[in-house]
Amino acid sequence: MYSQYQLADMYTINPATAAKGLNLLADEGILYKKRGLGMFVSSEAKEKILFKRKNQTLKRLVEEVVLEANRLQVSNEELLSMIKALQTKEGNQ
Amino acid sequence: MMSLIKTDLVKVLKMQYLFKFKANIDVFSSLIGIQLLAVLFSFGGFYHSTHGWGMVINLQQYSANIVICFTFIWALITAITITTKPYRHYDFTFVTNRLSSSLSNILFLLTVSVLGSITAMLSSNLIKFIVYMFLDDSIVLFKQPFFDFFTGMITTSLYTFLFCSIGYLVGAFIQYHKGFSVVIPVLFMGLLIFDGMTMNSTTITGFTEFYIKESNPFYFLLKTILMSSLVLTAAISIFNHLEVER
Amino acid sequence: MKIIECRDISKMYFRQKALEQLTFSIEENKITGLIGRNGAGKTTLLKLISGFIKPTAGEIKVFSEQPFNNLFVSANSILVDDSMSFPAALNLGDIMDAAAAFYSNWHQPLAEGLLDYFSLEKYKYHNRLSKGQTSTFNMIIGLASRCPLTLFDEPTIGMDAAVRKDFYRALLKDYLAFPRTIVLSSHHLEEIEHLLEDVLLIKNGQCLLHLPIYDVKEMMISVEGKLAIADQVLQEKEIIYEQSIGTNHVHRVLLREEASVEELQGAERMGLKIRPVNASDACVYLTDKGKGVIDDVFNKN
Repeated sequence: MYSQYQLADMYTINPATAAKGLNLLADEGILYKKRGLGMFVSSEAKEKILFKRKNQTLKRLVEEVVLEANRLQVSNEELLSMIKALQTKEGNQ
Repeated sequence: MMSLIKTDLVKVLKMQYLFKFKANIDVFSSLIGIQLLAVLFSFGGFYHSTHGWGMVINLQQYSANIVICFTFIWALITAITITTKPYRHYDFTFVTNRLSSSLSNILFLLTVSVLGSITAMLSSNLIKFIVYMFLDDSIVLFKQPFFDFFTGMITTSLYTFLFCSIGYLVGAFIQYHKGFSVVIPVLFMGLLIFDGMTMNSTTITGFTEFYIKESNPFYFLLKTILMSSLVLTAAISIFNHLEVER
Repeated sequence: MKIIECRDISKMYFRQKALEQLTFSIEENKITGLIGRNGAGKTTLLKLISGFIKPTAGEIKVFSEQPFNNLFVSANSILVDDSMSFPAALNLGDIMDAAAAFYSNWHQPLAEGLLDYFSLEKYKYHNRLSKGQTSTFNMIIGLASRCPLTLFDEPTIGMDAAVRKDFYRALLKDYLAFPRTIVLSSHHLEEIEHLLEDVLLIKNGQCLLHLPIYDVKEMMISVEGKLAIADQVLQEKEIIYEQSIGTNHVHRVLLREEASVEELQGAERMGLKIRPVNASDACVYLTDKGKGVIDDVFNKN
């Protein structure tokens, strides 16, 4: 994994901010520290990220979709058919 | 841990002194300009006429006195100029404290005083040479022993430096309070005009004569150096409290 | 190690208070954003730290020494602003030579590289530069001198957007290569926040907050939606900022700590829009003059 200084240089951010980001990932077990060697990506990183994105990001997006559908008085059937139509379109491509 | 830079006054003074030579290069061109102007004025000369033994002796005396006078005025103005805000702030852009800023200014003024005096002394030779070549076919006294030139230079340098010191103090007063920029010139010019009109040596000319009439070179040296130090110490202590408002 | 320590410092100018009982300290090798509105006292504070002026009351220590009339502090710090003065007789090359003589850490390759990149020629004179070029050149002096304490007071005045961006990147890159304590004053926090580690926010000469930028970003949330619902959800909560949108909609800002995650989720389900407040807006809300919003001026007429 890149060091906080390399990340700072890459994204023009303060190295302390980069370190904060790395620590957050380490706390979640996506990265792990090797003393004197830096940060490394853990073997279960992909799994964890997928899990998190599914349970947090995607869930939140769906919540918003449902909320917006309610506001616009779109029925559940209509919403589901919209989603299905998109999925078949994506699948064809 | 980043290592901090240790510094000392002498080191900073040396850098500021060199920096001031480059930064104040126009001081020297104004010196040359003002002295050439004074040389031009010198060709009026002083005219003496004596009667005796049934004949009239006309004595036309050319000297570098005007050049030296102009040099004094230049010294005064130069010293005041370097106390003004832009000049003081140059120091604060880089490494300085108020003491080093003042001391390097004083060293600079001392140097220009010596340089100004040398050129002023040399200008007397220039005047004599021009008079001899172009103006008059009478006898021109060229002889000047080196010792005379040397003592003349030292005396002129000390006078010039005294003017610098006074200018530096005046500048310090003006920087302390803007009001002095009106009060001091009015007072100075007023007294000068007063002295000139009454043909009397009461105020400023009297002050000058206090030095001129000193015939003992040792006492003269003591008087001027003491006076300069006194004036400069006052100026330094004023500057020591001034804030930088850039 | 603390590089700057201020305890209860006040500064008066002709009976007007520029700084009032300011207390804070800045740690070594951090980039701190000094944020505040016009006239908040940013410049006064930086001049105190540089030793240009002395405090009317209180104690200020830089590198554990009083900065006023201090050669050691002067040798280890530089203040870059648009009124840095250079002798008219010196061209840019000469000025760089002078800076190299005075500042022991001076890095000539960096200075020359930046000068070349920003198309400034060495033979040009400082007083002939445009406003943006002046700022650019002063910034180059500030960066290349690599002083352990580098202070920038509104360094980007007059610079165009491209140069500003380049400057921020140059600042960060040289900081990474040669870490030092940097204080960057600006009223555009959004422009510099990515560079900062800490934010020091001042208002009317007083320290409002001194926090890591991360905490400032997390500090506030904004709630937008129907007035009736907002009133119901946000009752008994301290509102930092409020703006009405039309007659029955409202935009309110409050501290994140005021509301729990569950309360916010509930509010969202009731149709309120909840959003984080960015650091820049948070600072604007905090430094609000207390005279209401700009709309009030127009509503009176």
